[in-house]
Amino acid sequence: MALRIWASSTANALRLSSATGPHFSPLSRSFSSVLDGLKYANSHEWVKHEGHVATIGITHHAQDHLGEVVFVELPEAGGSVTKDTSFGAVESVKATSDINSPISGEIVEVNSKLSSTPGLINSSPYEHGWMIKVKPSNPKELEHLMGAKQYTKFCEEEDAAH
Amino acid sequence: MIVASNSCLSCLIPPWTIRSNSGQISTSRRASASQITITESNSLVQQTNKRRCKCYDMYKEAVPFAEAWAWQKSIVEERKSLIDRNEDDLDTLIVLQHQPVYTLGTASSENNLNFDIKDPPLPIYQTERGGEVTYHGPGQLLLYPIMNLRFQKMDLHWYLRALEEVVIRVLFSTFSLKASRVEGLTGVWVGDKKLAAIGIRVSKWLTYHGLALNVSTDLSPFSGIIPCGIKDLGVGSIKELLRGSSRPSSTSSDHDDGDGKLIDIAHESLLKEFCEVFQLELCHQSVSILRYPDK
Repeated sequence: MALRIWASSTANALRLSSATGPHFSPLSRSFSSVLDGLKYANSHEWVKHEGHVATIGITHHAQDHLGEVVFVELPEAGGSVTKDTSFGAVESVKATSDINSPISGEIVEVNSKLSSTPGLINSSPYEHGWMIKVKPSNPKELEHLMGAKQYTKFCEEEDAAH
Repeated sequence: MIVASNSCLSCLIPPWTIRSNSGQISTSRRASASQITITESNSLVQQTNKRRCKCYDMYKEAVPFAEAWAWQKSIVEERKSLIDRNEDDLDTLIVLQHQPVYTLGTASSENNLNFDIKDPPLPIYQTERGGEVTYHGPGQLLLYPIMNLRFQKMDLHWYLRALEEVVIRVLFSTFSLKASRVEGLTGVWVGDKKLAAIGIRVSKWLTYHGLALNVSTDLSPFSGIIPCGIKDLGVGSIKELLRGSSRPSSTSSDHDDGDGKLIDIAHESLLKEFCEVFQLELCHQSVSILRYPDK
């Protein structure tokens, strides 16, 4: 099961890179699941900032470690999120884990597909598995997040330590 | 309401050396039925290299689920503040029993209830843990470890397997029951009977909720649900397995004495194996359970 999920998400990452062009190309062959152009939190969420809206989800690394996601709990649009505070949860293997927001702001859209198809987080963590879209209240918070190279190193160090 | 002192009294206790047939306990914790219960921790001090873990041990108490849940969450909030300040150092373990209750996990389906959720036969709580519906009641020992996985291994799968390992070792070393895991079904099984259910919540690598082991539990409330959403497999208890299905039931007074002893033995073994698996030294804390008189 884990191998299938890994294979499908890697395949997705590669398709993503060719479909969306150089802006979101894979970083390297060995860690092609980290995308350039996104920002990353050390709790393994990613942020894609485009204009006035930031899209948030969890990374390939996160979904890979979680295993099959069976349930996603998300807030309502119109609510707000605060940096480093939980805004939802994902359940896998009898463990429900908080998802923390990397930034603060107003939630403008929530991915309603995740309630019926939580597995999108496994199969397409950066595209169809997006979780919420937020209007950032403090864009400077994005500067404190990691870039792709830094996040890749962070994941490698975290995996090596444990 | 549960009141616990936060001071770590004389911290370190020696590893458990008690065998199942001895009946003697070196640190005695007695929770009486009276209003307030104070217990004392062991005064022996020993140097070890193991990380310390605060233990709130109410293993003879059937604590209302809501009280224990609120208490767990307050400990979690305190620990998260410590983690944010990089000051978290001690893990926590709560041990207790519950009064009869059904609890649901985050993804629990009403399809796994054999009753209308609006008219449940027992109190029912929707919790934030993973896993499906389960029953808790007297005779079942609950372990609620509040563990910072940064001290152990930041891997949820590992943590769940480790919790299972605790129970598997208890069942084998103390009761000579050969238990196993079932791939894809978290929990501990003896044959086709599930003896221990596991469900956790994780926030910033801090885990809570935990495991429930059926020792001498009355299993009939499980018929009100499809336990953990698994239709084809049953639920068992240590008592049922030791007794075997062919032996007739003993009298009610034998039940109470025997059940109490089983719980004592299972409790000792659980704490021992928990410490072994997670490489911890327990630091027993005083706990007061205040009960308000009925009006």
